[in-house]
Amino acid sequence: MTNNLEKLPKDSFERITIDSTHAEKITKPSLSFWQDAWLRIRKNKAAIISMFILAFIVIMAFVGPYMVKFDPQEVNVTHANLPPKIPGLEKWGIADGQGKLGTKTLDIYEVKKIDEYYWFGTDSLGRDLFSRLWMGTRISLYIALVAAIIDVFIGVLYGGISAYYGGRTDDIMQRIVEVLIGIPTLVIVILMLLVMEPGIWAIIIAISITGWIGMSRIVRGQVLKFKNQEFVLAAKTLGASDSRIIGKHLLPNIMAIIIINMMFTIPTAIFFEAFLSFIGLGLQAPAASLGTLINDGYKFLEYQPHMLFFPAVLISLLMIAFNLIGDGLRDALDPKMKD
Amino acid sequence: MAKKLLEIKNLKQYFNEGKKNEVRAVDDITFDIYKGETLGLVGESGCGKSTTGRTIIRLYNATGGEVIYDGIDVHNKKSKKDLKMFNRKMQMIFQDPYASLNPRMKVLDIIAEGLDIHGLVKGTKERTARVNELLETVGLNREHANRYPHEFSGGQRQRLGIARALAVEPEFIIADEPISALDVSIQAQVVNLLKELQEEKGLTYLFIAHDLSMVKYISDRIGVMYFGKLVEIGPAETLYTAPLHPYTQSLLSAIPLPDPNYERNRVRKGYDPKSHKYLDDEEVTMREVTPGHFVLCSQREFDSFKKA
Amino acid sequence: MEKVIEVKNLELSFHTFAGEVKAIRGVNFEVNKGETLAIVGESGSGKSVTTKSIMRLLPESSTEFKNGEILFGGKDLLKISEKEMQKVRGKDISMIFQDPMTSLNPTMPIGRQIMEPLLKHQKLSKADARKKSIELLGLVGMPKPELRMKQYPHQFSGGQRQRIVIAVALACNPKLLIADEPTTALDVTIQGQILELMKDLQQKIDTSIIFITHDLGVVANVADRVAVMYGGQIVEVGTVDEIFYNPQHPYTWGLLSSMPSLDAAEDKLYAIPGTPPDLLAPPKGDAFALRSEYALKIDLEQTPPMFKVSDTHYAATWLLHPDAPQVDPPVGIVERMKTFPGSRYYTGNAGGAN
Repeated sequence: MTNNLEKLPKDSFERITIDSTHAEKITKPSLSFWQDAWLRIRKNKAAIISMFILAFIVIMAFVGPYMVKFDPQEVNVTHANLPPKIPGLEKWGIADGQGKLGTKTLDIYEVKKIDEYYWFGTDSLGRDLFSRLWMGTRISLYIALVAAIIDVFIGVLYGGISAYYGGRTDDIMQRIVEVLIGIPTLVIVILMLLVMEPGIWAIIIAISITGWIGMSRIVRGQVLKFKNQEFVLAAKTLGASDSRIIGKHLLPNIMAIIIINMMFTIPTAIFFEAFLSFIGLGLQAPAASLGTLINDGYKFLEYQPHMLFFPAVLISLLMIAFNLIGDGLRDALDPKMKD
Repeated sequence: MAKKLLEIKNLKQYFNEGKKNEVRAVDDITFDIYKGETLGLVGESGCGKSTTGRTIIRLYNATGGEVIYDGIDVHNKKSKKDLKMFNRKMQMIFQDPYASLNPRMKVLDIIAEGLDIHGLVKGTKERTARVNELLETVGLNREHANRYPHEFSGGQRQRLGIARALAVEPEFIIADEPISALDVSIQAQVVNLLKELQEEKGLTYLFIAHDLSMVKYISDRIGVMYFGKLVEIGPAETLYTAPLHPYTQSLLSAIPLPDPNYERNRVRKGYDPKSHKYLDDEEVTMREVTPGHFVLCSQREFDSFKKA
Repeated sequence: MEKVIEVKNLELSFHTFAGEVKAIRGVNFEVNKGETLAIVGESGSGKSVTTKSIMRLLPESSTEFKNGEILFGGKDLLKISEKEMQKVRGKDISMIFQDPMTSLNPTMPIGRQIMEPLLKHQKLSKADARKKSIELLGLVGMPKPELRMKQYPHQFSGGQRQRIVIAVALACNPKLLIADEPTTALDVTIQGQILELMKDLQQKIDTSIIFITHDLGVVANVADRVAVMYGGQIVEVGTVDEIFYNPQHPYTWGLLSSMPSLDAAEDKLYAIPGTPPDLLAPPKGDAFALRSEYALKIDLEQTPPMFKVSDTHYAATWLLHPDAPQVDPPVGIVERMKTFPGSRYYTGNAGGAN
């Protein structure tokens, strides 16, 4: 037990006074909740890669259609059903304009004597698929984003009011939600689309009409949890008004969960839009969305597989990216929710 | 005797009133709090001591009874202005230092909340200055103002909660188990701080706790609650040396003390509500046995207490 | 005396987003047969982590054992396989947690929960296990055990639940029982009953107990020996009388003084200033020095070794070094020391030594 103790110099046993304020010092750097979350999500490789993919897709959705000289809606029957042909890649045997004509495989661009390069090929009406794809992505994203914002808006408002005021208000509001949930979504949507002119807004409304329920339930649960927390009680004893309690105490605390949930709502909306378009209830030609493109492509799957390939890859990428970002955010913002 | 600051008369707080699962959390209790004193309220979990505190400060609407603060009934006031006045005079310190501070707000904004609500400061500069002053009052410093609650330890957080309550310069503070979530070495810091503040600012405390040794230390008078009822109330010293109600006796016999010799010879007393053997026609109410020492008892018991 | 378990030089860290938390920094202790060792300390002192590492209950992904061994029945518990560990858990070592509700399965009648370890570890027949369970329930003071076997956890009060948990833990006559704050969630009167029960049972079945708590009152009641932990290290260890009546470490002084006594009317409580150390960056030297009014120069440079006070009593403070100056502990501690034969303040007659 006593090793080398003799070697210690005597003066090291002098008594010293420690400034007691020293003990109150916090050495850690000050981090806000969001800074802390950013540090965490930065370590999540899947989420970061997904963010880059998503950013790329969003940028392309705006820039893409202008990268080629073709108009995405212009019909050019002589250029119909062209396979993809990309300069540079053609030497490697990919996207070299080879396609089946009858039973033979030949360069269709040569056969038809076309000098332009259609990067992703054309559809049966000769429209450029590259510009159509990005145009469609833009519209799909737009629909999903607007639908998600409407979901959040109604859901937060409805769930928040229901939980915050509680009692009878909560009872009535929750019974209404239960009735709404009882009706199959597809029935409501089909009815909606019969009444309304088909188009972007019809789809947005169709998606949002029941979409907010999930959000409202989550918000309700969160508000119920937080409204009896001691910091809210403390604000009440200080005389804080309802709007102050909601704005300063409740909303900032449930924001993380709202954002996480929105990250999962967006891909669901994209998928639902695609589904509606696919069953023919969606956008009408010549407008394009990922759903209509997939619908078009699937009809010619046997002869023109590229028509399905590109929009299918894109929608898959979008879904995976959004879900991975959502997962990453959930881990970063709310570590307790993991289990 | 000192001036009565707060009179609680027949206070009742029932949850799910009239339904099958009615809970009488606070069942007809009456006591006074004098200006400048500390009244300790003890009892086991679920006895209604926290509910009493929360009802007094109007976090719950009382089912019945009156809370009279400085001659004015707190629960019958309706105008916003009057309510705000009470919010300044009466403040609360909470139990859980982790749940009582908003995790998304900076310390500066947490402490300044009362100042903002009541418009007590003009301009950012005065606000910051006042917050720094409050931080120093509770033994922290200005460097802490721009941090978030999660960066502080339990004891520091509890002191932040005290600073927040002090911001509106209250006269009366309800401390709802302020130390039970803290480590032993930190409890003493907080209790000392509360005592210092009381001397400095002439505060009145209602100190709710289940730790009897701390309550004994900080309180002038102590009330004991059992299942929604106040069973005994009296000066701290009297209550500890000569407890009358069998429940108080049982509670006192169970306090763990850091003294092995005492622990080896400890005699625990149980308490069974049936042991009173009250008859149907007996009136069980608070009766004053010695001046200031009230016990919930029947006339029969009262007589025997008097004799002893 | 026969050692049931021996922890040697245990060091472990957690890896978190913020960095490496050195939760335990060299812990040594042993538990003898039939005795109760209480580990006292504040939250974050490493007392729970120590026992969880004995049970190997720490998350494997983020925990790193840096050093040390835990010897139990001739085996190092840190080295054996998870399969072997499962045999140890519940049979040789069992654990009681703070919250009885979370350690019982709410969807299973309590009878089956008590029978489970009996069927698994002792290979009893169903009828025998049932009989033994009823016996155990009776042993922990549950009235009408036959009827209560079929009831679910929510039908019991907090104190009764803790009794059930104890019955489950004792089902296989473990050699070692680890109780992690078993009475903290309970009311004082119930707490007393549970403590009495545990002491009573310990005598009956002759098991050793590691009792973790932050409540010195509880320690004084149950412990034979006490280990005081601070900042991931044991700073003082001794018999219960040595720790309570002849403490040597300034942290133990602070802990004991910060509890008000019932009879003395202190004017001001002794409070340890500041907050416990941040184990992300543990201070150099004596971890308690920054909060101690008895700090020495060397405290900031070198970690004190365990100095021997008596055969059973060791404390890690430079104050015990022969070259260290004599200091007077706080008044309350001197009062305590006066009653302890062997302390330098001991006086048969009344009146202080200084």
